Amino acid sequence: MTKGVVLFAQNNHSLDYIKQAIFCAKKIKKHLNLPVAIATDNADYLTENYPYYEKYIDYVIELDWKECKQKRIMRDGTMSDRDLEWRNHDRGTVYDITPFDETLVMDTDFIVGNDIFLNAFDAPDDFLLYRHVTDLNHDREGQELFDKISDRSVDMYWATVFYFKKTARNKVLFDLINHIKENWLYYRLVYQIPDITYRNDFSFSIAIHILNGHQVSSWPKTMPGNLWFTTDADILVKLKDESYTFLIDKKDWKGHYNINHVSDVNIHIMNKFSLDRAISEVLKDE
Amino acid sequence: MSKGFCLLAQNNDTTNYVRQAYALALSLHKYNADQSISLITNDIIPLEWQSVFDQIIPIPWTDSAEGEAWKIHNRWKVYHASPYEETIVLEADMLIVSDITHWWKELSKHELFFTSNVNTYRNEVVTSRYYRKTFDSNELPNLYSALHYFKKGDTAKEFYTLLEIVVNNWALFYSKYAKENYQKWCSIDLCAAIVSKILGNEKEITDPTSFITMTHMKPAAQKWKAVPEKWTSVLGRYYRNDGVLLLGNFLQTGILHYVEDEFLTDDIIEKLK
Repeated sequence: MTKGVVLFAQNNHSLDYIKQAIFCAKKIKKHLNLPVAIATDNADYLTENYPYYEKYIDYVIELDWKECKQKRIMRDGTMSDRDLEWRNHDRGTVYDITPFDETLVMDTDFIVGNDIFLNAFDAPDDFLLYRHVTDLNHDREGQELFDKISDRSVDMYWATVFYFKKTARNKVLFDLINHIKENWLYYRLVYQIPDITYRNDFSFSIAIHILNGHQVSSWPKTMPGNLWFTTDADILVKLKDESYTFLIDKKDWKGHYNINHVSDVNIHIMNKFSLDRAISEVLKDE
Repeated sequence: MSKGFCLLAQNNDTTNYVRQAYALALSLHKYNADQSISLITNDIIPLEWQSVFDQIIPIPWTDSAEGEAWKIHNRWKVYHASPYEETIVLEADMLIVSDITHWWKELSKHELFFTSNVNTYRNEVVTSRYYRKTFDSNELPNLYSALHYFKKGDTAKEFYTLLEIVVNNWALFYSKYAKENYQKWCSIDLCAAIVSKILGNEKEITDPTSFITMTHMKPAAQKWKAVPEKWTSVLGRYYRNDGVLLLGNFLQTGILHYVEDEFLTDDIIEKLK
């Protein structure tokens, strides 16, 4: 059985997800020592701008470039934001495009800091993902919002990082995720999601709910360890080896921050601008 | 031992409870084979509706709820009117949406049993105490009379005899046993809780971990941040041709206490037939 990691990297005019993917792959090689595939709609950009990419990327999966009308406000701390394209519509295709029998999929702004995910490959389950997340900012309000995809709707699961084997059930799961994506305006109404923006977390959550017979069940199990995250209201200010220093949005004090420091964790860093600044420093000597 | 369901229904100016009881009986027959159902009522019942009931029993003695808008004052008579040795009592504004015939075996272990834990439509245990402040502040058993069971015998008879006294003198008993967060109306849940407290039998007549439960659709119990006046104004409901009921995309099982009469459309009744 072949094992590996698939990363989706589709740039917009401001954010270099391919650069994030190379940094992410570098960490995967160090901690998990697994082959990495990058799925991108701009392979030329990868080869031209990162000629050393084969040190960390084993496979390049070329995606068709599609026009993207979906936008999302992405912040750089609490005082700066930009309205940017959000090209996130291909995640559900991973079942068909992965070169591996067992695949770990993660966002490119998810940074691996230890080897705990190797346990996913040893588990008897064919599909693992996170049901709950842990905010580095314990004071942040609204964390209960992450429990359901909306106030009256179904349990929230996180497509940030997940593991799957190629099984018949997972084929149905990913076909269903793609069906939900293609009919998003219908499903967001039926599942009472106020925001029109398509999110993989939502389509995965809805698909899991449907496959569970419209009930809550013990499937799927959770990924190993915690899913730590910082939001785009926080700022990554220092990255050294496996240590990360953040300015964490201070409650009720817009523009003020508390400092927080973590090491050796797997963490989702949603402020892509500060992540870009930090990894540019790391990759400049490649 | 004869077993059966008893429903008590009295129409008022706003709600046709007999129609609700008819739908409940249809749903019981749809998902549960060979069940006996009796309706206790003084209201006129259309001929078509009568066929779903084994017996239609007049309310014993006089109508204690005459002139009342919320007609609950005859509920204590169910024990005396039931033709069965073992009875499951259900409120009319409920539907059965799956097979619950195995409940009889579990309930037979008790002389008297009340549900004390109810679920949301998402099958989560209700933790909100919004509707139960009086129970909490007066340390009363958390009983739900909408779904309960009794076996004819000394235990149940003692309970219902005292329930009659408490219902008929509810203000007096509330002032002694439920004076904190005082409730200005008579409710069977609160009266039953007071009876249980007086008799000291909570541990014998309920079990919060029991699978004998129901989905309770009072809006503030649903773990919503934005609580509407009626759940029917915010939640999609789909009663499929295959008999599956979904509320807000969640499959319903067991007993649904739907509370809002507008939920029970003619279309649902047609499908239950």
